[in-house]
Amino acid sequence: MQASLEQKYNFDIVRWFTIMAVVYLVVGAAVGVYIASELAWPFLNFDSPYISFGRLRPVHTNAVIFAFGGCTLMATAFYTVQRTCGVRLWSDKMARFTFWGWNAVIVLAVLTLPFGITQSKEYAELEWPIDILIAVVWLSFTINFLMTIATRKTSHIYVSNWFFLGMMVMIVYLHVVNSLAIPVGLFKSYSIFSGVQDAMIQWWWGHNAVGFYLTAGFLGIMYYFVPKQAGRPIYSYRLSVIHFWALMFGYVWLGAHHLQYTALPDWTGSLGAAVSIAMIIPSWGGAVNGMMTLSGAWDRLRTDYVLRFLIIALAFYAMSTFEGPVMSLKTVNALSHYTDWTIGHVHSGALGWVAGISIGAIYHLMTRLYHTEMFSERLINFHFWTATIGTVIYIVAMWVSGIMQGLMWRAYDEYGTLAYTFVESVDAMHPYYAMRAIGGMIFLLGAVVMLFNVLMTVRKSVTSGSLDKARAVPAAA
Amino acid sequence: MNSLLEYFETDWQAMTVNDWVGTILTVVIFLLMIVAYFQVFRPKNRERLEAKKHIPFDEDNE
Repeated sequence: MQASLEQKYNFDIVRWFTIMAVVYLVVGAAVGVYIASELAWPFLNFDSPYISFGRLRPVHTNAVIFAFGGCTLMATAFYTVQRTCGVRLWSDKMARFTFWGWNAVIVLAVLTLPFGITQSKEYAELEWPIDILIAVVWLSFTINFLMTIATRKTSHIYVSNWFFLGMMVMIVYLHVVNSLAIPVGLFKSYSIFSGVQDAMIQWWWGHNAVGFYLTAGFLGIMYYFVPKQAGRPIYSYRLSVIHFWALMFGYVWLGAHHLQYTALPDWTGSLGAAVSIAMIIPSWGGAVNGMMTLSGAWDRLRTDYVLRFLIIALAFYAMSTFEGPVMSLKTVNALSHYTDWTIGHVHSGALGWVAGISIGAIYHLMTRLYHTEMFSERLINFHFWTATIGTVIYIVAMWVSGIMQGLMWRAYDEYGTLAYTFVESVDAMHPYYAMRAIGGMIFLLGAVVMLFNVLMTVRKSVTSGSLDKARAVPAAA
Repeated sequence: MNSLLEYFETDWQAMTVNDWVGTILTVVIFLLMIVAYFQVFRPKNRERLEAKKHIPFDEDNE
């Protein structure tokens, strides 16, 4: 039956995106480790502007969010929509265009950001010609996905497709509005927004990139791959429906909580914080829904390493979606904002949730796409522990460093003057910066092992001819 | 109580078209969320909705 699946569906495009996702995970994490090391040991700048923290940091964020995250989303969305709708992708050509277009965006990011060509908008640094390319490629991805759903053979659209589609629609208008700019040359443009409006639009995009791209899209992955890997249906379908609508309605309000104590009207920050707190309910509902899928089969976690990745990712999802709303409260924000606590929070979501659920889904996909078992189960287990330990070291270092920073910055002496200079706080952070770099290195080691394991699995498939055999057998009637 | 009333005081005359569009949309979406909660958790709809959870397992055999 495997063979008929190979002929019925377009799995080639899923294979391409899957392999590139793993490659970009290594590249993105490697750049991250390098810039983390630069902060701990500044000589690593080598006095070169091209590899300075300020230039490489957007390379890191673009590589992990858009290269690794994007390829993972495109691989899983194209796989899931075909399997749950029972039809081939609407357009193979459009899918190939999406693949090459998206990779062209990534190459252009690497060619421009180190040279300081940037719009200076967080998570939207790329200049206007690349922004236009992103919009075109993303629309081709969206239209292909939507048309595949439109031509489906099933009556109901499975919930994972709702999450993917919600992400696609929202990202179209978030990206387009946030990127509106007046070009003054091929490599330079200015945002059409200014002042506080620019800040508001920036964080309307910034937090929704987290909410829709890094959450809704990866929840689409969760709702398909956790049940499939566990071999049990999702715990509650009704809860998943409420999870979807509450997420779609709630997330768009949150951006203002990034701008507490700024020129933004006070009520907008309060509203952002209030809705942030309310969002704990659907987020935890979703996390519990995923975890309870294992109800009655928890013993599977002892032996199924891929399932471990998926479930630990949900634990990080629950933790991050509690921590974030707490940090949005003005009282907590007064301490946490502009400190490394934010970096710790972001990475508990990025490494723990996004990377964890992606890695689990990719291991699941590999065996089905190459029609063979993984090259090494033990290496998956090794990867699980390096990813988990590396993430924990990273976020603990940033929590301690961030809270310490916040306390030092606002400490006053009896005369009302600052108790510490800024340099003293930088000096105090140094051990935690080294600890963060080590945590990142451990995570990177796991990613390299994953790439090795994935490539060896492809080699195993080629050597045994499992994929060729699957392709050659005529399709079942 | 007075301070709470002051907190929620609104200058209706100053509302722009954008303000009204945003307010109406927000209230409508809020009401739709209530409808969604009611529909999803209505005991009558339980079986119909929960049956959909098996879709990933109705795929072609692997």
